[in-house]
Amino acid sequence: MPNKLIGLKDAVSKFTRDGIKYASGAALPVGSDSIVFGREMVRQGRRNIHYFAHCNNQQVNLLCALGVCNKVEGGFSGLEVYGFANGFRRAVQAGTVLYEDYSNLTMPLRFFGAAMGWPFVPTISNIGTDIQFRSAFNPDEYPCKSKIPEIKDPFTGKICGALPVAKPELASIHVTMADVLGNAIVLGTEWCRYELARAADKVVLQADFIVDTACMLQYPNMVRIPDLLVEAVVPWQLGVWPQCSVGIYDSDEEHMFLMNKMLGSEEGALEYKAKYVDSWNTHEEYLAVIGKDKIDKIMNNPTTHLMDPYRKWIKTDEEIASLMKESKFAQPAEPVSAS
Amino acid sequence: MEFTRQEMMAIATGREIRDGDLCIFGVGLSMLAGYFALAYHAPNAISMTEGGVYGSMPVGGLPWGIEDNRISANATCFTNAIDALGFLCSSGRVDLGIIGAAQVDKYGNVNTTGFWTDPASPHFGPPKTRLNGSGGANDIGSGCKRLVIMMAHEMKRFAEKVDYITTPGYLDGGNSREKYNFKGGGPVAIVTTLGILRPEPVTKEFMLDSYYSFSSIEEVKANTTWDLKISPNVGITPEPTAGELEALRSVDVTGMLKKK
Repeated sequence: MPNKLIGLKDAVSKFTRDGIKYASGAALPVGSDSIVFGREMVRQGRRNIHYFAHCNNQQVNLLCALGVCNKVEGGFSGLEVYGFANGFRRAVQAGTVLYEDYSNLTMPLRFFGAAMGWPFVPTISNIGTDIQFRSAFNPDEYPCKSKIPEIKDPFTGKICGALPVAKPELASIHVTMADVLGNAIVLGTEWCRYELARAADKVVLQADFIVDTACMLQYPNMVRIPDLLVEAVVPWQLGVWPQCSVGIYDSDEEHMFLMNKMLGSEEGALEYKAKYVDSWNTHEEYLAVIGKDKIDKIMNNPTTHLMDPYRKWIKTDEEIASLMKESKFAQPAEPVSAS
Repeated sequence: MEFTRQEMMAIATGREIRDGDLCIFGVGLSMLAGYFALAYHAPNAISMTEGGVYGSMPVGGLPWGIEDNRISANATCFTNAIDALGFLCSSGRVDLGIIGAAQVDKYGNVNTTGFWTDPASPHFGPPKTRLNGSGGANDIGSGCKRLVIMMAHEMKRFAEKVDYITTPGYLDGGNSREKYNFKGGGPVAIVTTLGILRPEPVTKEFMLDSYYSFSSIEEVKANTTWDLKISPNVGITPEPTAGELEALRSVDVTGMLKKK
C-alpha cells in the first residue's frame, strides 16, 4: 500500500471538479467536518456542486453562501445552539440552492444503502410527513411519490418507504488521525463517516494528526476507515476550525458566531472569503489567521485526555514534510541536466 | 424561590422522565430539561444523543451541539447515527424523546423546517423563512415510545395546521398515525411556557391539561390558534420546588433558562 499524503491544494484540484456529487464528513454542525477542504474548493472557484450534506456544518453554510453548490441534500440545516445557518438560509430562500430534506437517520441510511450496493433502503422514518410528500427537486409533484415512494413490505403487507441511496463521487472526510496509507481513527461520534467512506466512489481524508502505522497495529479495532477505501490523505492540523475536533480542540465560539453572521449577507460573505479563505496559502499562514491566543484557548478543553493513548505515534511537521516527498503524489524532482 | 417561565417549562418537561427511562434529548434547552431530571428525580435514567454519545453528563454548561466537547468529555461510549437513531430509536427501544418546535398543530405535528407564503400551494417553492429541518426530530418522533415537545407558547407557533410536517404527531388525528407502523407511540405532552397540553385519547387532539401558577386558561387560549379544548381535570401545574430549581440551575451553568 503506497504512501498517500497529498497537499490540500493538490487534493482539491485532483479530486474535485465543477458539478461533482460531493459529500463531506462528518459529525454534526459543531463537530468534526472537513471544513478546510471546503475552503480550498472555494479558493479554486468550484461551481455547481451537488452536495450530500449528511447533516449540516459551516462548510455547507460557506459553500451555499458563496455560490459553490446549487443542490444540497441533508438531514439538518441549522448550527445547533449557534443558531440558523445564515449563508445556507439566504441561498435557499433566494432559490439559488435547492435543498432536499431528509433526516439525521435517513441520510446515513442512504449512504449505507449505497455502500451495500442496494437499489434503495426501506424506512419507517420520514414516511407520512412532508419529508416524504414535498420535494425541492420535484417541486410540482404533490404529494410527491418519487422522493421516498411508499412501498409494501412483501412479507407483511405493511407500509414503509423506499429511500433513494446516496452515492457521492467524492467524500472528503475529517479524521482525528491517519497514517500515510490512509488508515484512520476518529475520536468522538463517528456520525456517518463509517458508511460515507464506503458509499463514495472516492475518499480523501483530512487529518489533524499523521501517526505512525504502529498506532494502527496497536489499536486496529479503532480503525473504522481502513486504507483500502482511501485515495489520499491531507495532513492539516486545525482543519475543522471553527468547529471542534474531539480530543484535540474545542469549537471557536467567537468565530462560529462571526462566520455565521458574515455569511448572512452577500457583502459579508465576500468579506469573509477575503479575510478567512483567500488570505492564506500555507498551513503556517492558516494558523496565523486563527491566531495563537485563540489556538491556545481552544486546545485547552475537557476532552484532551482522549488523545493520550495515541500521542507517542504523532509525526512532527518535519517528519510529515519528509514523508510528503515519499508520497505517490509527490511531484517528480526537477530532471537533472545532462550537461 | 423565584423562577422564570423557561425554568418552569424545563422542569415540567423534566418531570415527564421516569427513573430508568432510556432518553434522547434534542439540542438546546430540551437537553437542559433532560439533564435536570437525571440530576434530580431520575438518577437511573440513561441519556443518549442522536450522535451516539452515551453515558455523559455535560461539563461547563449547555453543550453547543450534541457532539461537542462539553458532552464528549465524559462519555462512556461513542458510536454513530445509525446506532443511536436507528438501532436504538427508530427500532422503538428509546422510552422518551424531547424535541423543540417552531410550530405545532392540534394533533401534535411539528414543523421545524420552514414557513411558506402559501403553505397549501401544491407547488413547493423556496420558503419565506427556512428553519433547521428535521435533524433527528423526525426519527425521534417516529421511534420513541413517548415524545415530549417543549416550546414557547405563542399564537404564531400554535397553528391549526403546520406549514410543513417535519415530525409526525398524530398526523390527521384519530388512528391516522397507525397506517405508518411507527414503533413509537407519538407525543404525550406539549410542554410550553404557559402550560401542558395532552392528547385526547380517541381524537388525539391536544387539550389543555394544566397551566402554571403565573398563567391562566384564558392566556393559554389567547395564544393558541385552534379552538383549544380544556381537559375536565385541568389544574395548576405544581410550581418548581427549591430542590428542583437547585438541580436545574446546577445543570444550566450558563443561565440559558434564566432569561425572562
